[in-house]
Amino acid sequence: MPSPAELAWLIPVLPLAGACLVGLGLISFNRTINRLRKPVALLLISCVGGAAVLSYAVLAQQLAGAAPTEVLFNWASAGSFTLEMGFRVDALGAVMLALVTTIALLVMVYSDGYMAHDKGYVRFFTYLALFSSSMLGLVISPNLLEIYVFWELVGMCSYLLVGFWYDRDGAANAAQKAFVVNRVGDFGLLLGILGLFWATGSFGFEEIGSRLQGAISSGSVSTGVAVLLCLLVFMGPMAKSAQFPLHVWLPDAMEGPTPISALIHAATMVAAGVFLVARLQPVYVPFPQVQLVIAVVGTITLFLGASIALTQMDLKKGLAYSTVSQLGYMMLAMGCGAPVAGMFHLVTHAFFKAMLFLGSGSVIHAMEEVVGHEPVLAQDMRLMGGLRRWMPVTSTTFFIGCLAISGIPPLAGFWSKDEILGQAFGSFPLLWAAGFLTAGMTAFYMFRLYFLTFEGSFRGNDSALQAQLLTAAGKGGDEHGDGHGHSHAEHPHESGWQMAMPLAVLAVPSVLVGLLGVPWNSRFGQLLDPQEAAEVAEHFSWGEFLPLAGASVTISLVGITVAVLAYALHRLDLATAVAARFPAINRFLANKWYLDEINDKLFVQGSRKLARSVLEVDSKVVDGVVNLTGLVTLGSGEGLKYFETGRAQFYALIVFGGVIALVVLFGVLG
Amino acid sequence: MPLDFAATLAAATAQASSTAFPWLSAAILFPIAAALCIPFVPDKGDGKQVRWFALGVALITFLLTVGGYLNGYDPSNPNLQLVEKVSWLPDLGLAWSVGADGLSMPLILLTSFITALAVLAAWPVSFKPRLFYFLLLAMDGGQIAVFAVQDMLLFFLAWELELLPVYLLLAIWGGKKRQYAATKFILYTAGSSLFILLAGLAMAFYGGHVSFDYTELMAKDFPAKFQLLAYAGLLIAFGVKLPIVPLHTWLPDAHGEATAPVHMLLAGILLKMGGYALLRFNCQILPDAHAVFAPLLVVLGVVNIIYAALTSFAQRNLKRKIAYSSISHMGFVLIGIGSFSALGSSGAMLQMVSHGLIGASLFFLVGATYDRTHTLQLDEMGGVGQRMRKMFALWTVCSLASLALPGMSGFVSELMVFVGFATDDAYTLPFRVAVDGLAAIGVILTPIYLLSMLREIFYGQEKAELVAHTQLVDAEPREIYIIGCLLVPIIGIGLYPRLMTDTYRATMEQLVARDERAMKALNGPVGSSALIRQAPLRAPGLG
Repeated sequence: MPSPAELAWLIPVLPLAGACLVGLGLISFNRTINRLRKPVALLLISCVGGAAVLSYAVLAQQLAGAAPTEVLFNWASAGSFTLEMGFRVDALGAVMLALVTTIALLVMVYSDGYMAHDKGYVRFFTYLALFSSSMLGLVISPNLLEIYVFWELVGMCSYLLVGFWYDRDGAANAAQKAFVVNRVGDFGLLLGILGLFWATGSFGFEEIGSRLQGAISSGSVSTGVAVLLCLLVFMGPMAKSAQFPLHVWLPDAMEGPTPISALIHAATMVAAGVFLVARLQPVYVPFPQVQLVIAVVGTITLFLGASIALTQMDLKKGLAYSTVSQLGYMMLAMGCGAPVAGMFHLVTHAFFKAMLFLGSGSVIHAMEEVVGHEPVLAQDMRLMGGLRRWMPVTSTTFFIGCLAISGIPPLAGFWSKDEILGQAFGSFPLLWAAGFLTAGMTAFYMFRLYFLTFEGSFRGNDSALQAQLLTAAGKGGDEHGDGHGHSHAEHPHESGWQMAMPLAVLAVPSVLVGLLGVPWNSRFGQLLDPQEAAEVAEHFSWGEFLPLAGASVTISLVGITVAVLAYALHRLDLATAVAARFPAINRFLANKWYLDEINDKLFVQGSRKLARSVLEVDSKVVDGVVNLTGLVTLGSGEGLKYFETGRAQFYALIVFGGVIALVVLFGVLG
Repeated sequence: MPLDFAATLAAATAQASSTAFPWLSAAILFPIAAALCIPFVPDKGDGKQVRWFALGVALITFLLTVGGYLNGYDPSNPNLQLVEKVSWLPDLGLAWSVGADGLSMPLILLTSFITALAVLAAWPVSFKPRLFYFLLLAMDGGQIAVFAVQDMLLFFLAWELELLPVYLLLAIWGGKKRQYAATKFILYTAGSSLFILLAGLAMAFYGGHVSFDYTELMAKDFPAKFQLLAYAGLLIAFGVKLPIVPLHTWLPDAHGEATAPVHMLLAGILLKMGGYALLRFNCQILPDAHAVFAPLLVVLGVVNIIYAALTSFAQRNLKRKIAYSSISHMGFVLIGIGSFSALGSSGAMLQMVSHGLIGASLFFLVGATYDRTHTLQLDEMGGVGQRMRKMFALWTVCSLASLALPGMSGFVSELMVFVGFATDDAYTLPFRVAVDGLAAIGVILTPIYLLSMLREIFYGQEKAELVAHTQLVDAEPREIYIIGCLLVPIIGIGLYPRLMTDTYRATMEQLVARDERAMKALNGPVGSSALIRQAPLRAPGLG
C-alpha cells in the first residue's frame, strides 16, 4: 500500500483527467454533454473531492512528522544536459494542497448554484477543474522549471475563466490584459530561471541557494549579478500576486464570474506568487538587498490597494483592491524574512477572502433578480443597502469576514496580520508604519462595504439612479430601462443552499484558523519551520506582544468607528468633509492612481504605434526593394519570359506601384 | 517525360532492394507514381472519387515512412540508415542515393503526416480536383525526397521540382492576387536556387574527384575562404526558404493567397526545408564557416522573432498575421542552429517539428474560418464565437500552442533553445544575455498578437453585418478530426519531449560536437575572425 505522499501525483492528475474527459466530450458531443449538467458537475466535484481527501491525508502525514518526499524522472535530455520533472511533498506543499483543494471544492459546490442558469455551466466546471489541477501541480513542483510550467498553465486558466462570458467586451479585454501582464512577469521569471541555471547548473530550490553562495564566494558570479537574477525571478511573483506596478490586471479580472474571483483572484492563483517567494527563501535570504526590495514592493502594494479600495463603488472591485492590499502584506512578510508569517496570512486570508467574495457573489446574484443581468447595476453598492433583512446568511458571514480582515481578535486575520506587523516592526520600522496605517484603512473600507451593502434602506428600485449609472458606464439608459423594471422582483432573496452552505463552512476557519498560529504556541509554525517556531515561543513575552497588538486593534477600531459614523449613523459626511476639500486626492484615488492611463498611453499605444511603423517599413521599404529588383529583372531575359506568358503585366503593375510607393516614401522622408 | 523519370527510378530501386524493403524510395516514388495514375481514376469531375484515392495514397505513404522508422531506423545510431544507393548516371557522378539520419527522419515523418492531413483538408476542393490532388501527391513525394536524398545534385533536383507544384497550386487556386504571389514566389526561390547550384557544383568539383555525395563532401577538406563563400551562398538560398528577415517578403504574399491545404504544406513542411538544409549543408558540410557565421545566424534569429512579431501585431489580415507569426517562430530555429550546444540545436530541430504541426493547424483553421466568414479582415469580424463555439475552442487551443504554452510542443522547443543558448560557452556572457533577453521579448509579444487576434475574431458582440451575410456554421467532424490529429503529437511532445528528441539526439550530438571542434579551432592562437567572434568564456559553476 503506497503512502499518501507517494500518491501525491494523483492530486493534480485527478481533476485534470476529469477536465480532459469532459472537455473532449464538449468538443465531440456538445449538445449531449451540455445537457448532462448535474452528472458532469458531480464527476468533477468528486475528482476535486478525491484530490482533497488525498491532500488531507498528505497533510496529516506531514503533521505526524513525515520527511519530505521527492520523486523525479528524466523529462528531456540533450548532450550532458538532463531536465527532471516529478513531484515533491513537504510541509509547505501539504498546507497549500489542503488549502487549494478545500477552497476549490467549496467554490465548485457554490458554482452549482451561482451558474445554474448559465449556458456555459458545463464549460465552467471544466475550467474550474482544469484550474485546480494547474494550481495543485504548481504546489507540488520540485523545481523552478516545473513551477514555471504550471505557472503558465494557471495563467492560461485564468485567461479562460476571466474571459468566460466572451460576448462581453469588458471580459475579453480583461482576459487578455490578465494574460499579457502576467507574461510580462513571466518574462522576468524565465530570464531569472535561465540566469540562475547558468550560475548554478540547477533548477532545484535548495541547490540554487547553496550553489549561488558557493559561486559568489568563489568569485565566478558577482553579488550584483546574483541580486539581479533574484529580482528577475521576483518579477514573476510580482505579476501573479498582483504587486505594484503589475497589479493592474487583478481588478479588471473581476469581469469573470464571481466564483472565479473567489477561487483565482482571492484564494489560490494570486497565492502562487507568495508561495514561490516562500519556496525561494533559501535563495533570497542571503541577499538583504533583495529582501528590502520585496518588502518595499509589498508595502507600496498594500498601501496602494487599500487607498484605492476607499473610493470604489463596485462591490467586487472593492474586494479586489482589498486583495491587492492583503497580498502586499504577505509580500512584506516575505521581505522581512518571515515566510511563515506570510504563509500564515495567505492561509487565513484565503479562507476569509474566499468567503467575502462568495458572499459578494451571493449579493450580486440576488441583485440580478432586481436590476437584471447587467454588471454595472448588479455590482454597484449605490443600488444596494438593507440587504441584511433578506439575506441573513450572506450578511452574517460577510460581517464575520469584515471582522476577520480588519484584524479583530480572536478572528483569523488578527493573528496573521499582527504577526506580519510584528516582524516588520523589528526589521523595517518605516514599513511597519505604513502597514499599521493601512490596517486602519482596511477596517474602514471593509465596513464601508458592509454598511453600504447590508444596512440602511434598499435603493435597488431607484430607476433614475440606474439610468444614471448606465449612462456613466457608457451603456445608454434607455434600452435597459425598458427591458427591466417590470419583470423583476421587488427585493432580493437569500441564495439557495449550494451557495449558502460554502459561506457557512468558510465562516468556521475564518474565525478559528488563526488560533493555530498564536505566537506563544504556533502549530502552523511548528509544521513549516519547527526551529523558528520554538525560538519565537521561547522569546515570546506579553510585554512585547500586547502593545503592538493593542495598537493594531485600536487603529482597526478607529477605522470601524469612522465607517460606522459615516455610513451607518450618517453623522459624518465624508463627501463634503474629505472629498470636497481634497478633490485632487479624491480624483487620484478614483482614477486608481492613473496607472491604467499611464499603462495605456505608454505601453498599449506605444507598442501599437511601433508595430504599425515596423509594418510600414516591411511593406514599403523591404518589399519595395524586392519589387524594384523584380522590375530590373523584367528588363532581362528572365522577365521577358514572363511577359510572354501574359502574367507579367499584372506583376509589372505591382512593381510599378512599389516603386511609386518607394519614391513617395523617400519624398516624405527627405 | 515524368513517366520515364519515374520508371527509370523504379527500375533502379527494384535492383537495389534485393535484401531489405526500400522504405524511403518507396515513400518517395509511390505518391509520385500514384499521382501519375490520377487521370485514370474514375471521377465525375467534382472530385468526390479522386479525393478518396488521394487520401488512400497519402495514408499509405505515411505508413511507408512509419514503417521505415520502425523497421530500419535505430535512434541511438547517429549515422545514416535506411541507405539505398544505385548508380544512375555515372558520367555525371549522379546516383540515386537516399538514407535517413536524425536530421532527416523527424522531418520525413512530419511531411507524410502533414500531407495526409492536407489531403483531408482539401476535401471541399471542387475546382479542377484531379490536378489539385495530383500536385499535392507529387509534392508529398518531392518533399520526402528533399529530406531523404543523400546526393547534392539529387537534392537540387528535388528542391527545384518542389517549386513547380507550389507555383501552380498558388497560381490556379489562390486568391485575388494569386498571380502576383505565385510569380513572386517563383522568382524568389528560383533566384535563390541559383546559389545552391553554384555552391553545390563548386563543392562537388573541388579537390581530386567529382562527387555530390553528402558523406564524401563532408570528408573533403575545403579551405576556409572557400567555405565562407559557399556558406554565404547557401545561407541566402536557405534563408529565403526559412525565411530569414529581410528575405521573407514572398511568404506573406504566398500565404495570403494560398488555400488551406496549400497553407498547411507551406507552413508545415516548406519552411522546414530551409532549416533542414541549413543543418545539413551549412552546419554539417561547412563546419569551419559555420563557426564564423553562427553569431550572424543568432542575431538574424533575434531579428526574426521581434521584427515579425511586431509586424504580425500590426497586420489586419488574418492570413498575413499568421504568416508573420510563422516567421517569428522560425527565429528560434536560427538561434538554436547558431548555438554550439546540443540542447540548443535539439531545440531548433524540435521547433521545426513543433511549428510544422502548430503552423499547419493554425493555417487550417484560418482556411476553415474564411470558408464561413468570407473575409480575412479582422475589422469585419467579431463576436463569431457565439455561433461557432467548437471553432472557438479549436482556435483557442491552437493559439495557446503557438504562444508556447507549457504542455505543448512549442514550449519545450523554445525552452530548449533558451536554456541551450544561455548555457552555451561559445559566446560571451553579454552576448548571451542580450540574445536571450531580446528573444524573451518574443514571449511577451506573441501572446499580445495572438490573443488580440482571438479577441477580435471571437469575443465581444456579434457583428450584425457579418451574421446577416454569412452562414456561421460550427466546425464539422472532419475539421475537428484534423485538428485533433495535429494536437496529439503537439501535446504528446509537450508532455514528454523525449518522444521526439530521442529520434535525432544521437545525430545532433555528433553534429554539434563536430561544429564545436571547428569553433574551438577557429578560436585558436591566430584568429582573423576575432572581430566576429569573441573568445569563449567558460560558464561558472558548470563543470
